[in-house]
Amino acid sequence: MMKAKSQATEVVMTQAATSGFIQRLIDEGPVMGPRERSKHPGFVKFDWLNSADDLTLEYTTTTIPPKKAFFPPEQVLFDFKLTEPPEITAVQEAEPFTLVGVHPCDLAALDELDDAYAQEPAEACWPAARARAHVIGVDCLPDEYCFCYAVGSCGFREGADLFLTPIDRGYLVEVLTEAGEEMLHLSDIDNATDDDREQAQHFAARKAENLEASIDATPEEFADILEEGDFGELWREIAGRCYSCGSCNTTCPTCFCFDINDEFDLGLTGGRRVRTWDSCQLQEFALVAGGHNFRRIRWQRVRHRWHRKFLYLFRQFGRPYCTGCGRCSRACTADINIVDVSNEIITRANGRA
Amino acid sequence: MRSADAPADGADVTEDITRFYQPEMARVIAKQRLTEMMVLLRLQLHSGEPLDHDPGQFLQISLPGYGEAPISFCSSPTQTESFELCVAAVGNLSEAMHDLRPGDFVGVRGPYGHGFPIDDMRGRDVLCIAGGIGLAPLRSLINYVADRRSDFGRMILVYGARIPAEQLFKDDLAIWDARDDFETLYTVDEPDDTWTGRTGVVTIPLRDEVEIDAPETTAAVVGPPVMYRFVAAELLDKGMVEHDILFSLERRFKCGMGKCGHCQLNDLYVCQDGPVFRYTDLIGRSEAIEVWAPEDERE
Repeated sequence: MMKAKSQATEVVMTQAATSGFIQRLIDEGPVMGPRERSKHPGFVKFDWLNSADDLTLEYTTTTIPPKKAFFPPEQVLFDFKLTEPPEITAVQEAEPFTLVGVHPCDLAALDELDDAYAQEPAEACWPAARARAHVIGVDCLPDEYCFCYAVGSCGFREGADLFLTPIDRGYLVEVLTEAGEEMLHLSDIDNATDDDREQAQHFAARKAENLEASIDATPEEFADILEEGDFGELWREIAGRCYSCGSCNTTCPTCFCFDINDEFDLGLTGGRRVRTWDSCQLQEFALVAGGHNFRRIRWQRVRHRWHRKFLYLFRQFGRPYCTGCGRCSRACTADINIVDVSNEIITRANGRA
Repeated sequence: MRSADAPADGADVTEDITRFYQPEMARVIAKQRLTEMMVLLRLQLHSGEPLDHDPGQFLQISLPGYGEAPISFCSSPTQTESFELCVAAVGNLSEAMHDLRPGDFVGVRGPYGHGFPIDDMRGRDVLCIAGGIGLAPLRSLINYVADRRSDFGRMILVYGARIPAEQLFKDDLAIWDARDDFETLYTVDEPDDTWTGRTGVVTIPLRDEVEIDAPETTAAVVGPPVMYRFVAAELLDKGMVEHDILFSLERRFKCGMGKCGHCQLNDLYVCQDGPVFRYTDLIGRSEAIEVWAPEDERE
């Protein structure tokens, strides 16, 4: 567990210093951060950086959230050889790395996954991967899909060692942990002036002002509404548009369901057991032997997604498993918008009351 | 919050972080074909250690290359030197398991889940109701009661198979039937020329022939999902309360630790909160058994 500093200090990294800092981090070890896709200019993804020039620190969103740094879409759990008895060799990834450029909504999501995977019986891959990494957050400006304010993740900092807010001469850097303070040895830093702080506050205020999308109920109220209400008609309407493609799950920073399957080597003498991301929107997700399916019908799966995010996990962990990043709405091929649907539920619930 | 035992920064990260997913090896020591679809495997941990389980719990069994699947124990934990699993040939993995021979290795993880609440059942009458392959998980309880007979009151078993050829554990059925201290009622949905016993679905002998002292009885029910609401109606009709009715549910567990999401039943994880549930805990949870839907809504 990282040690939080008793009091966060603030320093300034100029643009040039930031670039030098990132380069020195890359020289020391692997660094993953937002990087413009070479074949899709304007689109940014979390990827390993070869040089500081690869980093696009100011970006709106990525398609796939940074959880993939700790929970890869496909992960080998162990290799096996078909000997007698079969031999199992655990696959270890032990190299420390740095994850740069994480927005507050995604910091909140990582923190939520810390809770989910630590719930007894605790899973060990996630915390081990988290312990290998240092995290540098960065503040952002929203697009029309973002609604972090409504779910309380707008100013989230937990889990970041350093947090950067854009200012005129570079970034105001909040030093949040001892590890973060250590990292600053790799950077030229200036003292933060009142003007720097004012600019950072102004940035945060601009972020809040620009957040247009919002859920018209508190997370607590919304959980109660979902629990008490029967919205079968609405779920059927939404399901009428949904393709069950699973894009919403694949792009979600808080989804943590997975599947486990085996792969044989071509030589058929061994192989590996692999854990992959899974989606509750796919029809086979709740299928059991004998063909019984407990969420066979599309609206049941659509409802399940809302209930899991805003009701079940909210009750278990005290916060919705949605951090307002808007990725599911951006990715949806049928334009199903998580904010619009949530607000329609709230409107119908209020209309009945 | 990170878990308390998560490694600290810079601490030993070479610990075996995938240990939870790694099976230990067990050996097939006997195999018996029960029906066309079902084989019974008797297994022993390669380490020689006993695998302590509760009746009603499940195990993740795997064959490297074919994958992993959850299967309920069908032997009683009173049988300590080995354990038994009943495997239906329904997919690649289970079909490969049908080809296993004594001496072959399989991977096992577990036991997982909450089985039958034995402590609460001691001193009470036990009414087991099995439909089809639901007899397999119930056999762990029935044989436990048989081996700890004085700990329990009456032992009643109502078992319905679709056809005589699909009756499981015919040897056990005869042994249980021969016991003075077991009451057994076997039925088949569709008889053939060889069948001389009862005919009709399992709820018929339950309704017509079973008399119970309801407050003193715990019912343990395992069968296809469609059976549960009809059995529940009969049991309530006999004066039982929901709390004393136990249902074991089947899901496609991938992890067994409440993480993979596959077994989520509304707000519950079947692998953690079940697979054995009190009826009380299932009422009001719409995903406990399949939701009825009109044909035009089926996909």
